[in-house]
Amino acid sequence: MNDTELAGTWAALEPTTAQRRRMQARVQWWLDAHGSSLISEWLGLLKINPIVSLSLATAAAGLLLIATPLSWVAFSVL
Amino acid sequence: MTQATAVYLVLTDEWTISPFFNVLSSRLGGDADLLEDDAILRLVEKARAGDRAAGERLYRQHVDRVFRTVRSILRSDMDAEEVTQEAMLTVLISLDRYAPRTGTRFVAWVMTIAVNTARRRFRRKRPEAADPSDLSRIPDDATDLDQDVDRERKRQALLGALAQLDRREREIVSLRYGSELDATEIARMLALEPANVRKILERARTRLAARIEILLGQGV
Repeated sequence: MNDTELAGTWAALEPTTAQRRRMQARVQWWLDAHGSSLISEWLGLLKINPIVSLSLATAAAGLLLIATPLSWVAFSVL
Repeated sequence: MTQATAVYLVLTDEWTISPFFNVLSSRLGGDADLLEDDAILRLVEKARAGDRAAGERLYRQHVDRVFRTVRSILRSDMDAEEVTQEAMLTVLISLDRYAPRTGTRFVAWVMTIAVNTARRRFRRKRPEAADPSDLSRIPDDATDLDQDVDRERKRQALLGALAQLDRREREIVSLRYGSELDATEIARMLALEPANVRKILERARTRLAARIEILLGQGV
């Protein structure tokens, strides 16, 4: 088997149509799901409903601050 | 969070590329005709500027080559599929990071991402016994049966022969034959001397060819 014939055997490893379809679908799904950055999502929300989005952001930050020591205490008690 | 996710989060809205793939549903294959390096560079520039068709074309130009290469490094079709999609995604969302230097082709940059992704997969999941038969493979609908059988024989012989090589040898022959990179490009990617790559390649090639002939002779 010469070099060209050996190189030719790699063509047998090409993906099938079904594999191509699956890969393309997953890549597209990921790109659709991450179509915008987190910051722009928040800014968009701020534009649409500033009061609710600021309240949500405050609640999320507050929850993070409270949840961390609470979970630490809970784990140490258990 | 994967590297791909981390990279994507720093991109701006102007660089949303998901629409590139809306056109892909009608064209599921890789490109049969591979473009010259200059044309690829023009596509990269266009894709960076937000040209959807250019991003789509870059995907089609490289997806089969990435799959061929990672399939010969990894042990199953499923791993190869997952690594290919992760690598292609990283390529498309990291185009701004590609800095063409003298002698560094775009395809070599793509393959560096693909091999690194494959290595992470290899580390996460220890390779099981070589599984060249991989019965989950579904043949193409449109190809003729004899052609499928012949291709499957070759495929199994190649995978069986690759299983005899160690990881470094598999990477080198896969980059040479699967990605069509030369010894200098492979050496740069793997941080080896080109002479060393040629030596390993020659040794691996001889063993590989002999093993494939034996396996094909046995009817695999």
